[in-house]
Amino acid sequence: MSKKKFVSKRKKVCKFTAEGIDYIDYKDVELLKQFTPVSGKILPRRVSGTSPIYQRKLTRAIKRARIMALLPFVGE
Amino acid sequence: MPLYELGLVLTPDLEDQAREAFLGELKQLLAGHGASIVKEDVWGKRTLAYPIRHKREGYYLFWQFEGPGSAVAPLEYKLRLSDEVLRYLTLNLDRELRRARKMAAYRAAQQAAKAAAGAAAASEAQAPERETTGEVGEEG
Repeated sequence: MSKKKFVSKRKKVCKFTAEGIDYIDYKDVELLKQFTPVSGKILPRRVSGTSPIYQRKLTRAIKRARIMALLPFVGE
Repeated sequence: MPLYELGLVLTPDLEDQAREAFLGELKQLLAGHGASIVKEDVWGKRTLAYPIRHKREGYYLFWQFEGPGSAVAPLEYKLRLSDEVLRYLTLNLDRELRRARKMAAYRAAQQAAKAAAGAAAASEAQAPERETTGEVGEEG
């Protein structure tokens, strides 16, 4: 058995580009929660596949939601 | 005049009457500065993601108002000094939605172009239809 394992990669897609969401509202908690694991961190682009433009917008929205106590700064 | 969005989190232990009075004050302040409320969105009580001032719940509401930028500073000043307010956030929605509107306009234009192209193709389709059927016939 070789040490190198080839895992078949699933193609990542940017949710916002695919679904045509132009403005990420900080009030849309359910949407933002998809990009924050239970730790409360912001999921990196590398994992979520979000395009750079939307990652920046998403980050801003999540930070706003945190200020308004809609999302936690630190999770469990 | 730009469109603003105000998000408010009030203390949960505020009586309905006291809350209405406070919101009335805010509305008066806004009206006094020439701003008018366009949309009200009241979420009501909701558990906070983390406790603020030992409170686990907050009363959420969102207003959209149109007015001069000079109305925002006195509004925020009042919110900062009010004990009823746990959190507030004012955004310039015109600036926030600039890209979204642009994209919507772009998509509409593209769809219109597509529809026009489709209509043109449909009207042209009748003429070259015979040619293609003729070619198929020759090949067969």
